[in-house]
Amino acid sequence: MTHTRELTFENPGFYKRLKGMLGVDFYRLFHTPMYYIFLAIAAIIPAMVLSMGGQPNAQGEVVKLYENTWNIIAADTPLYVIKNIGEYANMNMVFIFGGIMVSIFIGHDYKSGYVKQLFTTHSLKSDYMMSKSIVGAFSMMCMCLTYLAGGVFAGVLTGADMSVNAGSLLIAILGKMIMSLGWASLYTMLNVIFRRYFGVSITSSFVIGTGIPVIGAAAVLGNNSALNIFLYGSSVNACLSSNIGTLVTCIAVSCVWAVVYNIVGSVILSRCDVY
Amino acid sequence: MNAIEIRNLQKNFGSKQAVRGLNMTVPEGAIYGFIGENGSGKSTTEKMICGLIIPSGGSIRLYGKDYTNAEVRSKIGLLIEQPGCFQNLSVWNNMMIQAANLGIESAEAEVAKVLKLVRMEGAASNKFKNCSLGMKQRIGIAMALLGEPKLLVLDEPINGLDADGMRIMREVLTDITKNYKCTVLISSHILTELEKIATHYGIIKGGEMIKEMTAAELDASCRTFIALKAADMNKTKLLLSSRYSRVEETEEGYIRIYDLTEPDEVTEFLYNNGVTVSEIETSKIGLEEYYIDLMNERRA
Amino acid sequence: MSENAIEIRGLTKSFRGLYALDGLDMTVPVGAIYGFIGENGSGKSTTEKLICGHLVPDSGKMKLFGKSYKNPGVRVRVGALIENAGCFPNSSIYQNLMMQAINLGLDDRDGEIQRVLKIVRMEDNAKLKFKKCSLGMKQRVGIAMALLGEPALLILDEPINGLDTDGMRIMREILVDITKNYGCTVLISSHILGELEKIATHYGIIRQGKMIQELTAKEMESRCQVFTSVQARDMQSTFLVMNHTFKDVKLIDGYVRVYDVDDTEKIVDLLMKNGIAVTEIKKNKIGLEEYYIELMSRKEGA
Repeated sequence: MTHTRELTFENPGFYKRLKGMLGVDFYRLFHTPMYYIFLAIAAIIPAMVLSMGGQPNAQGEVVKLYENTWNIIAADTPLYVIKNIGEYANMNMVFIFGGIMVSIFIGHDYKSGYVKQLFTTHSLKSDYMMSKSIVGAFSMMCMCLTYLAGGVFAGVLTGADMSVNAGSLLIAILGKMIMSLGWASLYTMLNVIFRRYFGVSITSSFVIGTGIPVIGAAAVLGNNSALNIFLYGSSVNACLSSNIGTLVTCIAVSCVWAVVYNIVGSVILSRCDVY
Repeated sequence: MNAIEIRNLQKNFGSKQAVRGLNMTVPEGAIYGFIGENGSGKSTTEKMICGLIIPSGGSIRLYGKDYTNAEVRSKIGLLIEQPGCFQNLSVWNNMMIQAANLGIESAEAEVAKVLKLVRMEGAASNKFKNCSLGMKQRIGIAMALLGEPKLLVLDEPINGLDADGMRIMREVLTDITKNYKCTVLISSHILTELEKIATHYGIIKGGEMIKEMTAAELDASCRTFIALKAADMNKTKLLLSSRYSRVEETEEGYIRIYDLTEPDEVTEFLYNNGVTVSEIETSKIGLEEYYIDLMNERRA
Repeated sequence: MSENAIEIRGLTKSFRGLYALDGLDMTVPVGAIYGFIGENGSGKSTTEKLICGHLVPDSGKMKLFGKSYKNPGVRVRVGALIENAGCFPNSSIYQNLMMQAINLGLDDRDGEIQRVLKIVRMEDNAKLKFKKCSLGMKQRVGIAMALLGEPALLILDEPINGLDTDGMRIMREILVDITKNYGCTVLISSHILGELEKIATHYGIIRQGKMIQELTAKEMESRCQVFTSVQARDMQSTFLVMNHTFKDVKLIDGYVRVYDVDDTEKIVDLLMKNGIAVTEIKKNKIGLEEYYIELMSRKEGA
């Protein structure tokens, strides 16, 4: 047979493959409204929580949920056992919304059938896992920032106390942002496991994102710092009394889990029918 | 009474006019072949008949009543683009849901009947999402047939069907129109398949009905011709052109002489002039060619 | 390059104990337009999904261009349209194509997108959201998507679905062009055998998960029995004249049939010499459709 062009195949390297996949995901992220809606949600939630009145105590007096603006970002000390919603509701909520967003983002891949193009041209499933984890982490980090902006804005408006140890605050925010990577990898893996069942994947992301398993464990074990090995534990650990050691823990925990979830997800994807 | 009577139907999507002043008349018991290019407004018209989208103007009457009439609407079976089925439910459950929707009393027997009609009785317990394209299409047809519809609206039902599936389809459609007085509106691009069963045709272009006719009218308006081949085509063409007025060479390498019915005369004439034909045949223009010609005419 | 574009040996795939593919063999030479034929549920789509890596085989070997089907370099050059164009419904046609162009790492993305859109005559609808497209338009988008980035192997599952006559013609032209001029290989499955016959160079016929026949278009032609049918005003004398000269002559359905005579001019010549002008003479061939139906019914009986 005569062809005007000889067929040649070049083997695309790791960066080229990942670049292609990341390109697709970021393009979609920026060209669809979902990302911007979630950024807005992340900004509105702290403002709403902060301006909420609070709960009445035994004497019938209303106790404010937060005395300090920065409590909307992180608790004063790492508290795994929670006594009231004020100790729970902080920047960790970003990971709940983030889980829902990642679920929708990946769910659309399967629902539309676009994964057909992706998996036809990418035989290595780790490309897919990594790309989704990175895009998910990026979105959650952005949500952390809009959350911060929303919280500060509401704090200024309501005139709440603004005094804080700036170093610890910075570490807490950084720590939580770093935790995004671990969370995003976890959600990506969950969505890959439940790729055929959108309802299940979004529910599982939500349940685990709330940290209920760790809170449950804390109820039994007490405020044990061993719980920091879990994503939720380390996310709580990044609080207003954290130091450099906390940041190191966050980096280690987030990265280790990210690697584990990516490997598990890649193995599942390469062993199972994908579409 | 006409099963479908559409007058001056219009539909705009934003500034885009998908259907502009369409008229359509489908007599009862007809198999109406609805033909047109991609994006000409076929599906839009069908969706309006089924009440899925609201017309911007004009009237649609089904069996003499307005198309919003509940009584008429319960007697419409449809398959537009793809069957609307729940992905995670079995084929059987999907069918039962539609049977419940139609209020069929002996639902199980009716579902079993239509599944058998499309040879899908063995796959009833499969989840819908696990079915192949052809199987899904068969399920869609079965669903459209539930509850003995009086009007069937089928959009590209042949899609993905194998030869056997197409044969079943033809048989079912002919049967229900002949024996149950059902009316079928069917759109398809596979004109050779359509030609085998359609009794009426409607050709749509740019949202307007440019031609409506019965199969008999189509047959009468299609020209006859003699097609032939010989070794020296150029010489043959010159010879024939000198004697007959309408001589054309086709893409497939045949010479056609239109409106002539004496092939033996042609054979003899050519032979006497030193050309021996290798193939000669009297033939008629089919639906496909008629349609392409009509489209080209419009374009020019 | 002497390797085959696709080489499959003993491919098996089951879904919950039900065998969809049962030891399938397939050989598709480079540059072929391989028509993949079979009934609904015979395993065509499963095979195609396995080649594209959407499914994981139970056992068997699959090689693309002499390399493993898992080779990323080869897989980047596979364009596929299986069942429907998987596109994000809320994104525009252009955005959907852009994502695939980025995914493939193309250099001139915009130019390439305009090129494929033009091929499928969709350049005016680039801004339209995918969900607003009609079935035929979606199919065209799917074909454009598969053509992005000059694929070396195209896998098309029922691509003719919903295409109008014009769309089908474009499709035929593209496929012939890319195989002839770019050495692309095409695997195409369709039930519209009349259309397939116009372009396919090879055929594979699958039944219940097994390849029951693979043949080239030439082999297929030679296997289809050929006879010449002749008609004239005076059938009786036509039959007598012909029976006198040729061996195998029959009078069936108002035609005189002659088997194993390829030179029809000889027949016309002979009859003219005997004063008979033919009204009809043509070579009859069994088409792909009839061949396929016959093969299927033969297997069913066996």
